[in-house]
Amino acid sequence: MKRNVQVLLLLFLGVGLLHISLLTDLYLRYVRAGLRPALIASGVLLIALGAVSAARDGFPFNRPRAEGGQGHDDGHGHAGGPKVAWLLYVPALTILFLAPPALGSYTASRDEAEAPKAPSSASSSGESLFPALPDTGVAPMSLNDFSARAVWDTDGTLEGHTVRLTGFVTPGRHGAWYVSRLVISCCAADAQVRKVRVHGAPAPPADTWVAVTGTWHPTGKAGTGNASPALDATAVRRVPEPKDPYHDMG
Amino acid sequence: MHGDVGAEGPGGLRTAARVSTLALIAGLPVVLLGGVAIWLGPRITEGLDHRAVAAWRTVFTAIVIQGVPFLLLGTVVSATISAFVPAWVFTRVLPRNPALAVPVAGAAGAVLPGCECASVPVAGSLMRRGVAPAAALAFLLSAPAINPIVLVATYVAFPNSPWMVAARLIASLLTSVAMGWLWIRAGREEWLRLPKGPTGHAPGASRAEEFRVSLQHDFLHAGGFLVVGAAAAATFNVAVPHSVLRLFSDSLWLSLPMLGLLAVVLAVCSEADAFVAASLTGFSPTARLAFMVVGPMVDLKLIALQSGTFGRAFAVRFSSATWVVAVLCSGLVGWWLL
Repeated sequence: MKRNVQVLLLLFLGVGLLHISLLTDLYLRYVRAGLRPALIASGVLLIALGAVSAARDGFPFNRPRAEGGQGHDDGHGHAGGPKVAWLLYVPALTILFLAPPALGSYTASRDEAEAPKAPSSASSSGESLFPALPDTGVAPMSLNDFSARAVWDTDGTLEGHTVRLTGFVTPGRHGAWYVSRLVISCCAADAQVRKVRVHGAPAPPADTWVAVTGTWHPTGKAGTGNASPALDATAVRRVPEPKDPYHDMG
Repeated sequence: MHGDVGAEGPGGLRTAARVSTLALIAGLPVVLLGGVAIWLGPRITEGLDHRAVAAWRTVFTAIVIQGVPFLLLGTVVSATISAFVPAWVFTRVLPRNPALAVPVAGAAGAVLPGCECASVPVAGSLMRRGVAPAAALAFLLSAPAINPIVLVATYVAFPNSPWMVAARLIASLLTSVAMGWLWIRAGREEWLRLPKGPTGHAPGASRAEEFRVSLQHDFLHAGGFLVVGAAAAATFNVAVPHSVLRLFSDSLWLSLPMLGLLAVVLAVCSEADAFVAASLTGFSPTARLAFMVVGPMVDLKLIALQSGTFGRAFAVRFSSATWVVAVLCSGLVGWWLL
């Protein structure tokens, strides 16, 4: 790879990183929010490196080297820099011009929802692990909280409450559909599925973001791990896609 | 048809003829490829299912993006080592006997905060600086697995089993030291294509210039291989539903190597793999330990990075041996502690 092409790559990659992390929130489609400072720092460093290299090596045309070039073209691509670096143009241009969407119903429909973890210290502390929901109005809940209560809460804190869940639509088998979320801990490669089956409303198109209002639809016996979270919907309203699609909240 | 060509004389005519011939030669493949693309394009995209392709692109981009800052950190450290740290520092700090240097280097892995992308270039620059390969390899394996960030993440992911943190620390350290010693006994120098400096040490160049050139070279080189590894990992991630693994969760002796394999193909960052392991409910703690011990040491993007830095002959042998040792060590430690 020629040195001027390397400079261009460094600048593209640096600008791309700043584009997705500093100027827009696109980075939230791929990595967790906490990585933002690291991405901005990397972008700045890459642009600085590119600028210094442009000044030293010449840009857009290579400046002939005083000491007569690199001088050791040993035949495996090190002459002007590694050939494999060409591949970096793919993600660099992707994040600049063709940022792919956040993961959605395709991923959510392929995996079973991870069973929410059994609450830890249920036996040791006498009081309930699930604080009571507010008595009045509609309680916004995360899919994780709702699922955990639906599966593990033997005190029935969900009974008689109207809750609102927000997520995207994942179609299931035989006309069933789910309001779902993908939760990431580092990047989109480790996405885990949270989904709650919705009864009593026709399925909106896949990947639409909706807020579903309704009441708990009990299935199975709570506390045994074979219950699954479900909701009787009274209203399904379309909402805009949230800024951070992987942040599970009501 | 070219009315004014005649005025320019035969020279102009010849030029026009040559240009149109070149245009034809260049244009023909474009037209052919374009035709094929227009004709077959819709069928191909239909066959691939748009949403699978979109998911692949997202996962691919995500792995590259979250790898870049750590790769940059690693290459900054390695460029600093090759430009500013004189070689005698390492010979002074590390015991002269490689067999003793291995555990020291393995324990020193705790100081490099980052995930596995950072440790490969650092290990390369250590070798360039005259550190015994066995010690550098022990560092390469232990650094992403036992640094404080990873251990804290493990503690957060397994709030109810503090022993998991200890088990991970011990099993990872054990694996890296065992691999270092194995390299002393069985390793051969010719497998290792030691990384050359990007320009060698140009006599006139300043330290800063040397730093810049080696940073740029190492980053671009390793970055290219990161892209290869991310593409492979994204393919597995999208193609293999995780639920397939549930089939193996019943038997301990199958689930141990299965989660070891999963760690290789998923290529999750070592700072996040504890959360993934915690979500693999239904598997025994020992099998989940294997997932966390193997993940930072052997995975698709690491194999790609290693073959870029040390050569393919090395990466294949070293990764497969590490995988076996890591699974064995996690089995032992898990049986003892968990």
